[in-house]
Amino acid sequence: MLIRRPAGVVFAAGLLVIAGGTAGLLLTRHSTPALRPPPAGVAALPVPTGPIVAPPQEQLDKPAPPVAKPVSLIIPLIGVQTKLVTLGLNADGTLQVPSTTAVAGWYTGSPRPGAIGPAIIVGHIDSVTGPGVFFRLSELRPGDHVYVRRADGTTVEFRVTAVQTYLKDKFPTEAVYGATPDAELRLITCGGVFDAATGHYLSNVVVYGTEVD
Amino acid sequence: MRIVKFQLTRWRVTVLLAFLALLVGIPAVSSSAAAATTTGYVALGNLSQTPSPVDVYLYSSGNSSPQLVEPDVAYGTILPYTAVSPGSYSVKMRTAGSSASSTPVWSVNLTVKAGGSYIVVPLRTSAQAGSLQVIDNNLTTPSGKAFVRVIQADLNQQKVTFHCSCAKGTAGDIVTGAAPGTVSPQAAIPAGPWTMTATGPGGVGSLYVPLTAGQVHTEIVISGPDNSILIENVLDAAGAGVAPVGGVSTGFGGTASHGSGVPLPWLALIGAGILVTLASGLRLRRRRLTAKG
Repeated sequence: MLIRRPAGVVFAAGLLVIAGGTAGLLLTRHSTPALRPPPAGVAALPVPTGPIVAPPQEQLDKPAPPVAKPVSLIIPLIGVQTKLVTLGLNADGTLQVPSTTAVAGWYTGSPRPGAIGPAIIVGHIDSVTGPGVFFRLSELRPGDHVYVRRADGTTVEFRVTAVQTYLKDKFPTEAVYGATPDAELRLITCGGVFDAATGHYLSNVVVYGTEVD
Repeated sequence: MRIVKFQLTRWRVTVLLAFLALLVGIPAVSSSAAAATTTGYVALGNLSQTPSPVDVYLYSSGNSSPQLVEPDVAYGTILPYTAVSPGSYSVKMRTAGSSASSTPVWSVNLTVKAGGSYIVVPLRTSAQAGSLQVIDNNLTTPSGKAFVRVIQADLNQQKVTFHCSCAKGTAGDIVTGAAPGTVSPQAAIPAGPWTMTATGPGGVGSLYVPLTAGQVHTEIVISGPDNSILIENVLDAAGAGVAPVGGVSTGFGGTASHGSGVPLPWLALIGAGILVTLASGLRLRRRRLTAKG
């Protein structure tokens, strides 16, 4: 019989190794549940009403009225409705992150949302136990809408133009933080592989948006 | 004989196909680092005293109908930046009210790159001479600084010195002796609440211009009422004044799947299994061939 011969045993063992490797691969695969469209209840988050302020200036050489500080962020499609804390830089020059995983924060060194330039908003994907405010950020797609409410009661609307994942050691600083001629938005969280040894994710997810005229 | 050979070959094919299917099914662990910028930006304007106003047309290359028309653009106007797809364009300006098919007063071709930002304005060097110029902005400011460029668009002032009341130790004069139609390079200026001053043979004009790090400005010297000197401030672009270092630590792993999640070791294991299987399969076939043949 085939199986009793040494070569047959090796053959069967090879198949077993393949099966084992496949099982290991499948079991450790990151599950990214397809949650679009969002589950009922979450999707019911209303689109904000109230004044949406378009870029006010007709001419670049007339000074634009000052834009009020951002106070909250609303992304109906992924169930985000959070107040915005303010963030600066750490001593080592890295970006501060919110002290809790339940809120997002605006980097005060970036333009205010709705002013010319990229407004930077950061939130956690998760805590040590469960989802954070930006858990579903990577589900956003070009064309989706994001709203930022400001201290003066106005709301500015952004349209997602791109969603990118970057390894943190190849973070594209210029593309994310660099100057833009129009009012833009960057939403940043973690993503990719979690390195249990360092306690950090290896990648960042960046959502790019531009103000809706 | 033939049957055995066929079966073994089929085994190999099956295993190979399964392996390939697996590879295809594995999601990419690191997505592309492709730039998200897919548009360029153009600001059209009129910095020529004659003719004024003009009708401004932007054409995509090879297209006879304009992509953008701005009527009655007066001297001293810079319109907001318009996002356009990268590619070749032409800009034509006609005396206001002229037919769209009439010969333009000014015209120029420009190539828009993704992420590029351009000011397109007519500039005169004299009452008789001038051209439509394409000014390419560099938006990458040195950390903690702003860029300031000066356009001398005042025909009445043959030589203009443009001064910034910047902090001590910095060059205060951005440009000296600038003739009409001159476009200065972009100067890196520290952030701060500065006063810009343009001094020409016919007078002095000044403007308070607060600069924030990461901003890109254009200061335009224009001729005001009674030949006075005016400064116009244009905010071309703004970024984070001090860009944070590296990536952002925004997760603690509570929703990450356990294990490394890196498929490479498993792929190596599968590959080894396939090698062993193929090698033993080949040996099996040879034995059978020897035994039966």
